[in-house]
Amino acid sequence: MLDQDACKDLSDLFRVEDNLLPAEPFTRQVMRGVRRQKMVRRCVVGGLGLAGAGIAATHLPALLAEWVGIDKTVTEALTRAPAELSTAAVNQLSSAAMNNPIWLAIAAGAALCFFAVSAFERT
Amino acid sequence: MRSDPDLAHSAAQGNEAAFAELVRRHQGKVRGMARRLAGSEAAGDDIAQVTFLTAWQKISTYAGGTFSSWICTICWREFLQWRRRQKMEIEFDETAEIIPFDRSADQHEMRMDLTRALETLSEAQRVCVVLCVATGLTHQEAADVTGWPLGTVKSHVQRGVAVLRTRLENANVA
Repeated sequence: MLDQDACKDLSDLFRVEDNLLPAEPFTRQVMRGVRRQKMVRRCVVGGLGLAGAGIAATHLPALLAEWVGIDKTVTEALTRAPAELSTAAVNQLSSAAMNNPIWLAIAAGAALCFFAVSAFERT
Repeated sequence: MRSDPDLAHSAAQGNEAAFAELVRRHQGKVRGMARRLAGSEAAGDDIAQVTFLTAWQKISTYAGGTFSSWICTICWREFLQWRRRQKMEIEFDETAEIIPFDRSADQHEMRMDLTRALETLSEAQRVCVVLCVATGLTHQEAADVTGWPLGTVKSHVQRGVAVLRTRLENANVA
């Protein structure tokens, strides 16, 4: 810092020179550039967004045409699923119980625990 | 008066008026630095303009500290890019006449002396003198900006200032 203080006279000469530079025209020019940059960015982002929306829009008719079939398949699958799942579960449990009765005991224990926990939760 | 970090914070939120105020405050320093590094007023102003445009883009990365130092770092990088382009152009057109310093006749005498005196320094000395003496960065800040060791910066400043003083004294005697 001491060294830099020793150059104060030179620093002042440079500062006087810098202070003579007119600020306003330069500032206006920079801000014009800033606005231009902002506009370009907006145009690029907006343009890409619109292009994306356009591409998505062109695929909408095909999607809607497929939708009826998809809807039917999904609805049927959802309706059938619980019944199939419960049947399969009962079948599997009964076969497991038939093969080894310990499974019945485990299932009963688990059911008891579940019942106990839910009973305490309510109070 | 609002502080630089406060203005920078507003500018980061998209406030153009705050950024314009920052440009107004620091344009003299940045233009002076760029002009002295490039050795040309026109090129210096171009570098300074690009510096502020880059600063606008990166204003959200300004994490406090001295705004001067931050903007000078950007200016230094822009100067290096400009110099790289210049070198490429020179290499491309070897017959082109290279005029490193453009001078207009109506420039102030002292200004001419300073400019001429700066011309006589080696590039490393000129960079260090411009950053530390003309722009007012500390030796440490100048070392951070350039990426040069602190000791190197200090010795370049010391030698550069000595040469500068001798040239200015000679000019005054003449």
